[in-house]
Amino acid sequence: MRIILLLLIAAFVMPLSNVEAQKAKTIDELAKMFDASQCKSCHAEIYAQWEKSHHARPLMGVKGGLMLTPLALKKGEKGSTAFSEDDPKKMKISNFPCFKCHLPQAVTHAEDSVAVELTEALLAKDSEKVAKLQITCIVCHNEKAIIHKRELGGPEKGVLYSAKEVTSHPDATFKTVKKSAIMNNSVYCGQCHGLGPNLEFDQAFQCANLYGSYLHNYVSGGGTQSCQDCHMKKGDHLIAPNFNDEKQTSELLASALSLHVETLGYEWLRKANTYTPKVVVTTKITSNAGHRIPDG
Amino acid sequence: MTAKTADGKEIGKEERHYHPQATNCRDTKEKYGAQWKVANIRDTSIQPHQAKKETFEFDLPEGVRTADITVDLFYEAVNPDNKYPIHTITRRVSLDKE
Repeated sequence: MRIILLLLIAAFVMPLSNVEAQKAKTIDELAKMFDASQCKSCHAEIYAQWEKSHHARPLMGVKGGLMLTPLALKKGEKGSTAFSEDDPKKMKISNFPCFKCHLPQAVTHAEDSVAVELTEALLAKDSEKVAKLQITCIVCHNEKAIIHKRELGGPEKGVLYSAKEVTSHPDATFKTVKKSAIMNNSVYCGQCHGLGPNLEFDQAFQCANLYGSYLHNYVSGGGTQSCQDCHMKKGDHLIAPNFNDEKQTSELLASALSLHVETLGYEWLRKANTYTPKVVVTTKITSNAGHRIPDG
Repeated sequence: MTAKTADGKEIGKEERHYHPQATNCRDTKEKYGAQWKVANIRDTSIQPHQAKKETFEFDLPEGVRTADITVDLFYEAVNPDNKYPIHTITRRVSLDKE
């Protein structure tokens, strides 16, 4: 009876606590490993914010696009990439370098069969299946929470990391919340909202430059605000912008950029008795953002 | 920036584009999409602490002494048809002193 009970308990907690022990073979298994839906019961507001965020749909692009589709295309086909293969069955996790940031748990916790299944889903335009792959609470509050691994060790199993410590966290799996050294620091976001070219891959590519811009153009000019100061005010886990919300995105951009316009109308004298009616418009855009616009 | 006569006829239009521009470093074509880009070769984006100043200048057609100026600032994501309006400022410019 005791053995049966232990097996039952093990089966119940496996989706979250067993992420270190085995790799997911399917999209469903990977989604289940990092499923954070249980967080909703206590953190309903934060969860609702996250659900609308790009972190909740990291493979979906803007307005429902399937942004990884070019990688899934058959090698040589119009629109395919250097990462594409001539057969979807040949696709591996390493064929999706975008996982580095768009699905970091796939790099550490997924078998190549997940890459094959994703490729087939992308080719079939199966948005519902692709949408299962998310950057969940567990990805940020465990997987990406430590960058000083030589000094502090890697993220511990069954532990969440946050801006503050919670000694007793009422959850069956994550019973402790430890303070992360970096969660309030821009470098935390900089892990993915990047520095420039990703030169560590066998085929270099470039996605976001945002953290590089922050370091070299904002901090260097005396800026002191963090990413979190502006994009996570009051702990907002939408982490705007949400490009699917046009009104909100326009308002955010308007708060970051100001436009000043001056005009002048006069008659220009090029030579004696020859006047040219002329209009001159001068514009000035100023930014209070901590990074270049646009970037990501 | 668009300039029109008082009766709505367009007499001037100019655009400025602010964004980092990257190639794959193997040819000279700009690439869009992380899977093709390798490094920026030009960056006209709006940077922190640095104002972007532009001057647009145009001649009025014969007989026209008033122009309506509209300056639109908007953000494009993914493709030019997906626009997010940011600011629109209009000004009427006249060559006649009141």
